[in-house]
Amino acid sequence: MMRTAETMQRVKDIILIAALTLLIAAVLVLACGASPAEAMQLFIQGIFRNRQSVAEIFVKACPLILTGVGCAVAFQAGFFNIGAEGQFYLGALVGTAVSLSLPLQGPVNILLALVCGFLAGGLLALIAALLKSTFNISEIIVTIMLNYIVINFLGYAVRTFLKDPEGNVPQSAKIDPASQLLPIITSTRFHAGILIAIIAALIMWFLMSRTTIGYELKAVGFNQRAAQVGGISVAKNIIRCAFLSGGLAGIAGVIEVIAIQKKLLEGISASCGYTAVLIALIAGNHPLGALIAALIYATVQVGTGSMQRQLGVPNAIVNILIGAVVLLILGRKLLHLETYGFLKRKKEAK
Amino acid sequence: MSQLFTLSFFTAFLAAAVRLAVPLIYAGLGETIAEKAGVINIGMEGVMLDGAFFSFAGAWYSGSLAVGLLCGIAGGVLMSVLHGVICIVLAQDQTVSGLAINMFALGLTSFLFKLMSQGQSYQQVETFETYAIPGLSKIPLIGAAFFEKDILCYLLYILLILFTIFYKRTDLGLSHIAVGEAPHAAESAGIPVHLFQWTALLVNGVLGGIGGAYLVLVQLGVFTENMISGRGYIALAAVILGRHMPLGMFAAALLFGLANALQIRLQTIGVSVSPYLLAILPYAMTLLAMLGAAGRSSRPESLGKPYVRGSR
Amino acid sequence: MEEILRMEHITKRFGEFYANRDINLSVLKGEVHTLLGENGAGKSTLMNILFGLYQPSGGQIFLHGKPVAIDSPATAVKLGIGMVHQHFMLVEAMTVFENIILGDRNTKGIFIDRNARRKEILELSERYNLDVELDKPITEIAVGAQQRVEILKALYRGAELLVLDEPTAALTDIEVEGLFRIMKKLVGEGKSIIFISHKMREVMQISDRITILRAGETVRTVERGETTGEELAGLMIGRELAPSHYAKVTKPGAAVVSLHDVDYQKKSKHNGLNGVTLEVGRGEILGIAGVDGNGQSQLAQLVTGVIAPEGGSVDMKGSRVATFSPNGFILENVSHIPEDRNKMGLIGNMSVMENILLKETGDPRFSDAGGWHLKRKAMRTYAEQMQQKYDIRCTSVAQESRNLSGGNQQKVILARELENHPDLLVAVHPTRGLDIGATRFVHDTMISARDAGCGVLLISADFDEILEMSDRIIVIFEGKIMGEYPGSNPPIDQISLAMAGK
Repeated sequence: MMRTAETMQRVKDIILIAALTLLIAAVLVLACGASPAEAMQLFIQGIFRNRQSVAEIFVKACPLILTGVGCAVAFQAGFFNIGAEGQFYLGALVGTAVSLSLPLQGPVNILLALVCGFLAGGLLALIAALLKSTFNISEIIVTIMLNYIVINFLGYAVRTFLKDPEGNVPQSAKIDPASQLLPIITSTRFHAGILIAIIAALIMWFLMSRTTIGYELKAVGFNQRAAQVGGISVAKNIIRCAFLSGGLAGIAGVIEVIAIQKKLLEGISASCGYTAVLIALIAGNHPLGALIAALIYATVQVGTGSMQRQLGVPNAIVNILIGAVVLLILGRKLLHLETYGFLKRKKEAK
Repeated sequence: MSQLFTLSFFTAFLAAAVRLAVPLIYAGLGETIAEKAGVINIGMEGVMLDGAFFSFAGAWYSGSLAVGLLCGIAGGVLMSVLHGVICIVLAQDQTVSGLAINMFALGLTSFLFKLMSQGQSYQQVETFETYAIPGLSKIPLIGAAFFEKDILCYLLYILLILFTIFYKRTDLGLSHIAVGEAPHAAESAGIPVHLFQWTALLVNGVLGGIGGAYLVLVQLGVFTENMISGRGYIALAAVILGRHMPLGMFAAALLFGLANALQIRLQTIGVSVSPYLLAILPYAMTLLAMLGAAGRSSRPESLGKPYVRGSR
Repeated sequence: MEEILRMEHITKRFGEFYANRDINLSVLKGEVHTLLGENGAGKSTLMNILFGLYQPSGGQIFLHGKPVAIDSPATAVKLGIGMVHQHFMLVEAMTVFENIILGDRNTKGIFIDRNARRKEILELSERYNLDVELDKPITEIAVGAQQRVEILKALYRGAELLVLDEPTAALTDIEVEGLFRIMKKLVGEGKSIIFISHKMREVMQISDRITILRAGETVRTVERGETTGEELAGLMIGRELAPSHYAKVTKPGAAVVSLHDVDYQKKSKHNGLNGVTLEVGRGEILGIAGVDGNGQSQLAQLVTGVIAPEGGSVDMKGSRVATFSPNGFILENVSHIPEDRNKMGLIGNMSVMENILLKETGDPRFSDAGGWHLKRKAMRTYAEQMQQKYDIRCTSVAQESRNLSGGNQQKVILARELENHPDLLVAVHPTRGLDIGATRFVHDTMISARDAGCGVLLISADFDEILEMSDRIIVIFEGKIMGEYPGSNPPIDQISLAMAGK
């Protein structure tokens, strides 16, 4: 009985939040002087225009899935990793360096780049995990500072040791075609990295729900003290989840380089590391939820892209909407009529 | 390298440090006040960004600095009220709320700025003038750095002193500290906990808003997307380093100002290190300072824990 | 005599649950009025309504005959109601003086006039014999002194009606005598006191009138002179309850754990251990008696590996313990019923099943692939067996443990900690906050663990529990062992004195 009532409430909340989000979107479109109906039409057309545009959803979702799932795992264990952005870039940087410096091209090169990117992202997150578990320093501030440090370091790298010796622009040399992740659906950009992202999400789901590792991570996240009394090492689990979480972001960086950009340059994350935080929150820190949330977000991105091109509606609208969704989830009690009934009764009592 | 060590170098260097620190100190003071009341606002970045954008828009459309400042304050307050509804009224997770506010503010300001500019670039708005304080501004080394400033900077000095007295000497200050330390004890002593938390958050929004507005109305005269670039988080770090007291936070924020000023100075005198590496300096220093201050926690006992009446 | 407070038909509902239903209470000027009832009888809810922390769902409060609405503690304070909560409401980071003046608004100006207020407080403290050191931080004064600070705080705010919520729970017998003297002085000066307790002896000693609550409803109000302790107990519980008598063990088996001269933060009176030597044998219950906050928490954490001693040594089943970690002790087959169910015992957001198996996930019965992959079906079957065996009332084993009642939560912990036949069980306040039925269940379970050869270290601030359960009793005071006494026919007076450090 209780459960069905709760589920009903949840479904109602989701519908209400979705409706409100649409309403906010409509208001924003109106504010741009465009017609919401037309915008909606363009939005849907933008998504389903052709196979390229549908494939583009997956291309955009790929880094978000990896970073979002990574954040979800970390948050589930109570480690607020806001550093996916930096971990993404460090992964991209190291992956590029490995790919370019290896004499050998082909699948081995790809594999090594991915592994090194994973390690780089993981180790970066590990710094914050160690500082948190040994000195109790806020991981939020540490990971943010590391983001800025890595981003500036990347700026340095593409102008110096990783700079394409043949060009004058701040970017690396091109990845050898044999070591790129190529499209696997013809005439689209749907590349093999997308499969890696989806498989990673499935693995993380399995890890969190079906293994002792996930069990311990969750226990630490929900109640550190009780987990510790129950014989579970808190430090070990924080380090574990940080490494996994950073590693996934690192892989996302490598894939972005070797599948999409084909070279390392600045700004390639498109802030996906920060978006990932909100995606994980919307998903309730569930890995498969994060997969779905990332796909929805990418769909909205593709749709608003076409709105921006044709109606001049700025695509910053996506940031407003995702922020608003998290705020609405947090504030969902305000959507329940009982809340106001309670207030009314309180006033009458006075 | 000899020009590194002249008096005029130090004076200019210190002046730059103070200039860079003022927005941090405003935000840091706002955050100190919120945290003293037990509410942590990770969304300070968003509060500042809102303050920066709305102050620019206000000053642009009205042509008045005062209107711009008021708009900036309103923008900051808007975000902290949002935070208050979620954290105080609904007792939700303060960290999550703060992160969402940052993203929301980033989207909102970028969106509105694009609407405003329609793609063309903006001219600068007029900025606040500086007034040298007679006498004080003539003190060697620190005079020009601290006492040849704008009115908002002087207001900040006054606020720092007032809040220090507030916490150390007044009844209300004592109550305010009690709210963050032990809200149940405070409530049972007749202190309206939620009222104190709301007031603290409003002040947080006002000061964070001014912090953002300061960048636009005093320093740059323009708004750019995501222009706060981590200052909100550095302010959070300054609060921790300053042991949750206004003057301590002031010193910590000044330290970041110094690191940043040093970085800029080194670039302008043409030190042969990449500006990108130098730009790492203030962030790296924040990390090192956090490490140095580790273990000496001064955080209010109930920071970040929502207070619900009657619960334990 | 004049009636100072009348609460009429007070009802408080939480969802479908009535915490208070149609309660009536009348308190006269200058009397000690006792509210008597078991845990969960609705005493705290009623007092939280009186103090403005809860709003009643129905009913009316009258002060001095006038109807009042108390919407916040601030209003309650203004109306002359003072409350001393069972868990003291003191700001630990502040001094006694700061705590007393905190939030007081009957002053002019915004600055703290320390001298004037100090004089005022000293006058009050002399008048009522409330002896406190004003400039000490709260953390440095004893529990009894903290209570005096609370009373002084209420009087300083002009309280006419004082609510004392289980004020004797944390006090030694001698401190209780002192408190009663203060209470008599207060009512002698015309104040009124609502005294909350479930200790019959104290109730019969101090009360003028007694109102008994049971299951959220008023049973009756009686004059002290017209009743007896037995009658009150019957009214409170609602049925006759034969006292349980467990057979005592006099010859325990070999030592499971022994501590030799163990120190931990020995300078701290409330949170340290100083030269503790003791031994728990197989098949016996060693009871640690003492007032809360005399090093019991540290003792419990030490014998479960959460903290390591700073001096001395610990032997487990005959061999010296080298490294202290909770996991190491769990592997040594040590079980733990922690002092705080919600903070240390259970993971509230996880299911009953997951909590029952918290320590077992690596066991081949519940995971394969080298203890890596969970066998969910086996886990569920096992959890359901435990649900039956320990009579855990929940909708299913998938229910989140935070939604269970206190008694059922404790049963989840028992199922986890006792099912594997531990060599040592460390039980800290195992029945705190439980009703009589659940308490009996916990006690029976512990006794059968003992009879199966488990050594039990029982740490409790409930003296009756210690007397009922222990085969041997050790008294701890300020981190030191004050003496050891037999469990059968224990010298109660001597033990009481030892608990007060005499």
